[in-house]
Amino acid sequence: MASQSEGIQIRVNGSLCQLEVDSSRSLLSVLRTELRLTGTKYGCGAGECGACTVLVDGEAVRSCIFPAGHAHGRTVTTIEGLAQGGRLHPVQEAFLEAQAFQCGYCTPGMIMGAVSLLRKEPNPTELEIRRALADHLCRCGVYPRIIRAVQLAAAKMSK
Amino acid sequence: MSEDVGQQREVPINRAGMTRREFLRLTGGVIVLFALAPAAEPGTEGQPGPDSAEDLNAWLRIQPDGRVTIFAPAPEVGQGLRTSLAQMAAEELRAPVSCVEVVLGDTARAPRLAPDPDQPTLSAVGMRVRAAAAEARELLAAMAAEKWDVSRELVKLDGGQVVLLPRPGTAVSIGELIGGRRFVRRLGRPTPLTPPSEHQIIGESIARLDGPAIVRGQARYVGDVLLPNMAYAKLLRPPCLGARLVRADTRAASAQPGVIAVVHEGDLIAVVASRPNLAEKATRHIQATWEEGAHPEMSTLYQGLRASAELAEPARQQGDVEAALAGARRGYSASYRAAFIAHAPIEPHGAVATTEGATVVVYASTERPFAHREGVAEALGLRASQVRVITTAVGGAFGGKDGPEISVQAARLARAVGRPVMLTQSREEELTWNYFRPAALIDVRCGVGETGGIIAWDCDVFNCGARGAWPPYGFPHRRLRSYRCNAALRQGPWRGAGGPANAFAREVHLDHIASELGEDPIDFRLRHLSDRRMIRAIQAVAERYGWRVHRPPTGLGVGFACARDGGSCVAEIAEVEVERLSGQVCVRRVVVAQDSGLVVNPDNLRNQIEGAVVMGLGFTLREAVRYEQGRVLTRSFASYPILTFRDVPRIDILLPASRDLPPNGDGTPALYAIPAAVANAVFDAVGARVRELPLPPASIRAAANR
Ligand code: FES
Ligand code: FES
Repeated sequence: MASQSEGIQIRVNGSLCQLEVDSSRSLLSVLRTELRLTGTKYGCGAGECGACTVLVDGEAVRSCIFPAGHAHGRTVTTIEGLAQGGRLHPVQEAFLEAQAFQCGYCTPGMIMGAVSLLRKEPNPTELEIRRALADHLCRCGVYPRIIRAVQLAAAKMSK
Repeated sequence: MSEDVGQQREVPINRAGMTRREFLRLTGGVIVLFALAPAAEPGTEGQPGPDSAEDLNAWLRIQPDGRVTIFAPAPEVGQGLRTSLAQMAAEELRAPVSCVEVVLGDTARAPRLAPDPDQPTLSAVGMRVRAAAAEARELLAAMAAEKWDVSRELVKLDGGQVVLLPRPGTAVSIGELIGGRRFVRRLGRPTPLTPPSEHQIIGESIARLDGPAIVRGQARYVGDVLLPNMAYAKLLRPPCLGARLVRADTRAASAQPGVIAVVHEGDLIAVVASRPNLAEKATRHIQATWEEGAHPEMSTLYQGLRASAELAEPARQQGDVEAALAGARRGYSASYRAAFIAHAPIEPHGAVATTEGATVVVYASTERPFAHREGVAEALGLRASQVRVITTAVGGAFGGKDGPEISVQAARLARAVGRPVMLTQSREEELTWNYFRPAALIDVRCGVGETGGIIAWDCDVFNCGARGAWPPYGFPHRRLRSYRCNAALRQGPWRGAGGPANAFAREVHLDHIASELGEDPIDFRLRHLSDRRMIRAIQAVAERYGWRVHRPPTGLGVGFACARDGGSCVAEIAEVEVERLSGQVCVRRVVVAQDSGLVVNPDNLRNQIEGAVVMGLGFTLREAVRYEQGRVLTRSFASYPILTFRDVPRIDILLPASRDLPPNGDGTPALYAIPAAVANAVFDAVGARVRELPLPPASIRAAANR
């Protein structure tokens, strides 16, 4: 199926980006290679690990299976866009407080997933956290700490 | 902070082996070097490389302004090495951690250290860093003592300066002491390390120094490297394992958009393109003819191991096992198995290579940068000093990234196209084309004597190696034979190698004997143990859990197992719930007590142990590489399911420490005991004795309903 380059406009982390890319290419590939936003990671390319999670209009999506063209005219937030004016987002702070990472490769996706969860459910139970993040994989096995980090973040944000 | 690879150009890359020497000539300060003649200086058994340039690489440098830089051969793979090393250096130098910068895994800047599979990285590298820092401290103290004309005991380092003890307020900064001169010391003679009772920084839960970069998405992994003019490569993979490329028509692929070159050099065939997606697309246009070899079949795996076995090393023995078995009151024999498993890091393998004149620089995701350097040098016909490997942040490795293959492939491609090349694997490639943890087959024969204690233990280990197989118990007659086998799949290093499988066999077997004899599993082990550290760890978990054995068939069970690995003792209790009809196991709680010697950073060690429990539960419950007709079937996270948020139990960790021993703490020991603790808990829950990993629900169901 031949697809061709076309103009796509995406607001990424607050700046408007004009891109000439194959619109069927994954948003992940465009973010990483064209925009050099390498904080978003490739883990599986099939929507199964969550490493590539970003927010599109505030909703968590798996950017590895999300065609760049679908982001046209929309707002994308990546891990790089989370801190505001040099201040970390409460979820980022909570990950630091709980030391909720080892290799750190899954961390950006985990953080974006947690941000999206807390937007919808500011006070999730442990079970809700486990369910909401169930498709985010961490091979280093940091899950218990990530659960704690999300709980910490919820507490911070409700203040 | 994690190294910004973009800034590492400060060391001219075309002089990969020379930079350190030049740097040494130029810079003032205190420099502590690797021992030049390791054989002559006991205590530093590190080997100089094939090329002697790296002998001049330093472990530590103190600049005249008091800033300290540590150079270590191992990279950060998530085990918190950077932070732990900074703590160890700061402790010995009595300086704040913030003064210490740690440079990891750069072969042009770090001393080479021969890998020792039995010594955890933290202790191998950490003890040298401590020794280097202590050496520097003693040198500075001696200089100050001389300056004030007092004895060494009357001065001490404190907060980045040297103070005169009898006269508070009299101090000299390190810069003033050094005074623009350069002092070089070699590691080798014993230097007094700070005794544990005086530790102020070692033993503190200091937050990971690279944490802020990680949560901001700024940690730089190999896929994040960008070099000017860099191209992206994709390999063409064979249709099945062991297939050989006969010929390839690359014309159509070469004409695809974005393609820079199709490289076909012997066994290597790849597309190099301007964009990763274009490289991948173009590989589909290569017309390749393959010759398929023998097809490995999973159904005959264990027969194949037994049939091809050859003794790998002389048997290890004590006493006379055969005679003791013959004279035993009762005998117990069984075979245990463990499947091939994958490392499955979330970051697949990758490398970026660039050639400049006669030298090659590789940005690598590995735990063994020096092995990658030597692999690349050999493949390209270069001297080791012509190759520089710079390790980036590593997104999980677990032993899977030790082998240099991907760095070699990237280097060959970069040389072929004459520009920097990034080569990364897809998830499917990651799970198919790398080596796996060896499958294991373990036979145990055991004899119990008149007093109900074990008198003979005979263990034959097929394919997975003898690590962790020698029992930590005082059985009077013991024998261990380890066999090399023809394995169907490629296999290689994995955290703890055969240790978890060997511990599984032993600890399930002991549980079986204890239950046959009507003994409590923990008491039964304790009567065969004399190691005080192990006994203490066992008592600690038993007490924390509130150990008591359930009796079948409650559906709820508790199991115990313990193990020893590389200077660590670990004891674990698992609590499970088994669904009788399906054979599904849900692990509800795990308690671990691990004594790893000196604990450098308790929170970090807990993190490692939690992670090991989670990973261990994965290969206990469900991970297995499946294959058929030479094709790996488990090529995605859907078919190779690692543990998820849904499966994680409550985990309690106890750290009974032995502060006088080296810091052996990582997560590996905790991996050893988890499979048997769970299997024994399953037996406790439903009376099913399962001797295979992963624990097959069908066997549990069948045994439970027998
Ligand atoms: S990379 Fe997108 S879900 Fe794994
Ligand atoms: S921290 Fe390594 S994959 Fe999650």
